[in-house]
Amino acid sequence: MLLRLRRSIDFSKSVVWVTLGAFVVFVLLPTFYLISYVFLRWNEVRVEVFANPIIGDENWKQILKVLFFSFRLSLSTVAFDLVFGIPLAYVLARKSFHGKSLLEDIVTLPLVIPTSGFGFATLITWTTVAGIGGFLGLGSGLIPLNTVIPIIEVPFVLFIVHVALTFPYIVRTIETKFRSIDITFEIASRTLGASSLTTFRNILSPLSVPGIFSGSVLAFARSLGETGATLIVSGVSTTASVAIVRWTSEFKLATASFMGSLLVIIAWVIILPAELYVGRGARSFSIPYRMPRSLSNTLMKFERFASRRATYIKDFVPLIVVAATVVVPIVVVLNSVIVYWSTDPYTGKVEGGVLYQLFGPSNYFNSVLRATSTSIIVALVSTYIAMCIAIPLAFIIERKRYGGFIRSILKVPLIIPTSSLGLSVLLLWGSSGFNVVGSGIWLIVLTHTVFSVPVIVESIIAAYEGSEIQMYEDSARTLGATAYNAIETVSLPLIKGGILTGFVLSFTHSLGETGATFIVMGRDITVPALVVNMVEALAIPAALFTSTYLIVLSLILLAIIRIITRS
Amino acid sequence: MSLIRLVNVTKKFGDITALDHVDLSIEDGEYVCVLGQTGAGKTTLLRVIAGLVEPDEGEIYIEGRLVNGIPPEERNAVYMFQQFALFPHMNVWQNVSFGPVIKDWDNETVEKVSSNILEMVRLADRKDAFPNELSGGMQQRVALARGIASGARILLLDEPLGALDARLRVDLRSQLRKLVKDQKLTAIHVTHDQEEALMIAERVAVLRKGRIEQMGSPREVYSRPQSIFVASFVGGANFIEGNISKVYSSGSSIEIRGGYQISVSDRSKEVGEKVVVAVRPEDISVGSAEVIGSNNFSGRIESKMFIGGSMEYTIRLENDDVVSCKISLSDLPTTYKTGERVIVSFLAERCYVFPYPKGGLLEEIEAI
Amino acid sequence: MPEVRLVNVSKRYGKILANDNVNLTIENGEYVSIIGPSGCGKTTLIKIIAGIIKPDEGKIYIGGKLVNDLSTEDRGIGYVFQNIALFPHMTVWDNITYGPRVRGLSPEETRPLALEMLEMIRLSARSDAYPSELSGGTQQKTAVARALISRSELLLLDEPLGALDVKVRGELRHELRRLVKDLKLTALHVTHDQEEAMSISDRVVVMKKGRIVEADAPIELYTRPRSIFTANFVGEANFLKGIVTQISDEGSLVDVVDGLQMMTNSRNAKVGDGVVIAFRPEFTSIGDTEMLNRLVGKVVDILYSGSIGRVRVQLANGDQIVAKKALSLQRPTFSVGDNITVNVSPKNTLVYPYPKEGLDKELALE
Repeated sequence: MLLRLRRSIDFSKSVVWVTLGAFVVFVLLPTFYLISYVFLRWNEVRVEVFANPIIGDENWKQILKVLFFSFRLSLSTVAFDLVFGIPLAYVLARKSFHGKSLLEDIVTLPLVIPTSGFGFATLITWTTVAGIGGFLGLGSGLIPLNTVIPIIEVPFVLFIVHVALTFPYIVRTIETKFRSIDITFEIASRTLGASSLTTFRNILSPLSVPGIFSGSVLAFARSLGETGATLIVSGVSTTASVAIVRWTSEFKLATASFMGSLLVIIAWVIILPAELYVGRGARSFSIPYRMPRSLSNTLMKFERFASRRATYIKDFVPLIVVAATVVVPIVVVLNSVIVYWSTDPYTGKVEGGVLYQLFGPSNYFNSVLRATSTSIIVALVSTYIAMCIAIPLAFIIERKRYGGFIRSILKVPLIIPTSSLGLSVLLLWGSSGFNVVGSGIWLIVLTHTVFSVPVIVESIIAAYEGSEIQMYEDSARTLGATAYNAIETVSLPLIKGGILTGFVLSFTHSLGETGATFIVMGRDITVPALVVNMVEALAIPAALFTSTYLIVLSLILLAIIRIITRS
Repeated sequence: MSLIRLVNVTKKFGDITALDHVDLSIEDGEYVCVLGQTGAGKTTLLRVIAGLVEPDEGEIYIEGRLVNGIPPEERNAVYMFQQFALFPHMNVWQNVSFGPVIKDWDNETVEKVSSNILEMVRLADRKDAFPNELSGGMQQRVALARGIASGARILLLDEPLGALDARLRVDLRSQLRKLVKDQKLTAIHVTHDQEEALMIAERVAVLRKGRIEQMGSPREVYSRPQSIFVASFVGGANFIEGNISKVYSSGSSIEIRGGYQISVSDRSKEVGEKVVVAVRPEDISVGSAEVIGSNNFSGRIESKMFIGGSMEYTIRLENDDVVSCKISLSDLPTTYKTGERVIVSFLAERCYVFPYPKGGLLEEIEAI
Repeated sequence: MPEVRLVNVSKRYGKILANDNVNLTIENGEYVSIIGPSGCGKTTLIKIIAGIIKPDEGKIYIGGKLVNDLSTEDRGIGYVFQNIALFPHMTVWDNITYGPRVRGLSPEETRPLALEMLEMIRLSARSDAYPSELSGGTQQKTAVARALISRSELLLLDEPLGALDVKVRGELRHELRRLVKDLKLTALHVTHDQEEAMSISDRVVVMKKGRIVEADAPIELYTRPRSIFTANFVGEANFLKGIVTQISDEGSLVDVVDGLQMMTNSRNAKVGDGVVIAFRPEFTSIGDTEMLNRLVGKVVDILYSGSIGRVRVQLANGDQIVAKKALSLQRPTFSVGDNITVNVSPKNTLVYPYPKEGLDKELALE
């Protein structure tokens, strides 16, 4: 039956220490190793980057150019996200309607979708005849790959992909914040005569600023670090994270590490103050500026009009954005697999068909099978290790005073460029470092553990904070349960939904992870990495099949999460 | 030897002192109510005894043993939350038998104890139901059953009736007390409802800003309040300021606004001292004629309220002081109309006299 | 012209009928309370009047105007919430002046109104404080001021005192009524606390399971409730089952238990009818050997609350009744275990037909 552990105090202390130790070794160290690597090998780095005997400080100039481009891309992405994300967050937080859970799933999708597969889907949607171009009867892609958006000077397809991948961060963070604000405040404002738009401006917005800020920071960092999809759609442009992959493959390790460290430091620098600001219970933010009365009266008149007549705009426009960036590419890719199944529909050539590429001379099907088994093993093992660390870690975060600090640090592995992470793990555990494992499946497992832990922890914490676990535990303790008993019989069952969700999320994420895997995989290829290879080898139908296969797998897993949370 | 003893217990949360050098003794089998407003420190008091939080200073003894640092599961005191805290993933039976099961009692005993207690609270037929299928009153009974079944000697009740409708509370008060007494348990019941405390407790401790202001039987605390705060908080009172004008063998005279005099039986103050006279609304009678041997003042009815089977009249006296009096409907020959002139009477023995508080009267009765 | 009129208002949530064909009229200047156990539909009703919830059927008139299609901000109401809902990022002053500001009033017009309001609730000194710095009672006073400043004719209060300590509740009751009456407003106040409703209102409406059971002035509701549910819900009452044995000009004789008969002054039942006699604990006396209706029994327990004693007596047939008496400072003349006589005058008895579904169901408070 139940073990009644008498020395519960000693037990819990050792659990805490072991968990923290595992956390430091498996999660923190890899995240920050890159920086220490650069420090230790500063001379090497300095020479290669700034005082290269052949090209002078050309590498440094490259770094700067790439960095500025990335910043421009990410900032414009976040701005776009905010404009359309805030109304969507409001709708999701406050309204109920048929199909709402489906919408929530579609919004969440980019968080776990295999980035390379998604990048590929977006690529063919906008730039090839298999996508929108063909649908409109243009006979070719809608726009060339390297079309640039004026003013911000950012490639369109790249921009769209980044918007799709960062949108959930903004929407979900702000939605959670909106939800946490008692709706009674808004009702009170309405009873006092304010229209719903005026209420949004005066009441909801100031109270949500911490959430909006935190969501923007997360989205910005995510965009900065996005690798997998970017590898596929970047065309002639280079983002910072893509540069890392390229330089690593060219063995310019010092430059790559320097770039990687810079990105980690930047992520660290923007996240930490943001978390401190939000964490210190910053409850609201009001600009001390009082509008002149005539302006404010006109504004309120407009808000009153818009609240009555134009609310549907806010309901529908974000949906169009979500549809265009997420739904359409998935539909296109699914459709294309069918269309391209046996032959290329435009040339009629069997060689251009999916079947031929899979089972013909190139025999990609074999590679797909092998890659699948690699991916699944990696996902299972890394998720398991991550669970062992994440469950006790979640409890530590909720109970200890330093818990908030740990929770903030945990956000870093989620947003540093996956290529940085890969490089860091490679240098730490690989042949250049402690030489624990060589490149290959075990290194991939170690890499995936790093970002799986935060995913599971956040899931558990969401479930923990949603239920009043502390109260139930206190009850159980005074009824005679030891601390361990209380957790086992009361707390864990109450958060098991969170644990399961975390498991599935982490598993799915691992299946689709590209950027870091690419760097550490050696000969053991995972499915998303395979897609990248296929694209580079111009085996488009094969890439089509593999991306679809990956995406469908993720969709099924997400549906499983939905079923778990509903029960 | 007392069952529970707190010696000099202090607990601070940042700048706020929740418990301020509290001394408290509770005997075996006593039903004690701790009465105080929100923020007075009542919940902290319970949590410190339960072992859910450790005091900054002071010792806590349970059953003669020093329990500082001893975990909650070893203190034999069960904590019951205002929101009941029934485990949502367990049904009624599993909730009630949680204590015995987790303490590893043998199956037979678990079965026996749990069924007995469910019988007692009249919920044996709902043992397979889950908490969210039960009404508030039923959940409270299950929570009680769970606490009693655990075998604890001490029940720490944190506003046990607070989550229930007002009318339900009245019915459940006596049931709660009966249950605790029948089981021969010791209960510390925390509440901000003085009527509840007076009715249900054997002893009442009035807690204010982390300190016990007065402790005694309900009768004592009601009829012999030791401070203005207690007089106001427990039972409510009218307060009239004045100065002692004369002291004689059977009492004193107090001069109030307008030169009028109140006779009181208190003789402890000095002539000239500034004081506050307190008279309870139920000790004031209203009529058309003077009552011999009492303090009599004429006044005009300013407003009236019907409260709990009594009429409460607010009367402005001729010297502009305002008093309220409460008369049961059954004792009232006629109801008076607003604006009517009446004679207000109260006995000298029913007055309490307190020295005028340094911080002002309003501060002391913590008026909102 | 009535200030509020509800005609055939119904609202359903899945299988539950929260409001079942409710008809209600509230006159201008009235202070009306709606009471009932949790889940009786009173909160749904007040939210429908405010426009926060849309009814499935029925019409709502405020000030004579049909408001069904008007959104909340256009209905001209003031609303006070149970959880207070003062905007946490604004000071007391900004909270109170919010309504005028969003309605376009200038600071010059708003200032005197706000100052007057602060004076009325005696909070002039704390206009720069933030809600988190104030006590619960003070916060709610501020919320009331915020709702009243626009002088909306109708004030809706949704369990306004529910989140406050008992003592604070008692004090705020007076304040609420005073403010509403001084400003000559109409108020609709929803609460589960019948004592609160009875003390503060001109008229009390009793609801149960989505319907209005009774509506009357507090004293009437207390002394002459028309149903067993109301008799039990508003104040406390003793209930004894019996059968009518005789009817005369003064009233009827009811056989309560073998040998024990009670005289009532009601003449509504027929001989042989099953009835329930109700009387309030306060309207009893103890030990009077002359008065009609002498119920003899053993004292089971005595609970004191201040100067009132609640004596529980067990009669010969097992029924228990409660008598409430103001006890003098000296010890009472009886103690637990003694036999005493409880007297009830016939004019203090109420007689109801025995309920079809049984007495317990009728008395159920939840």
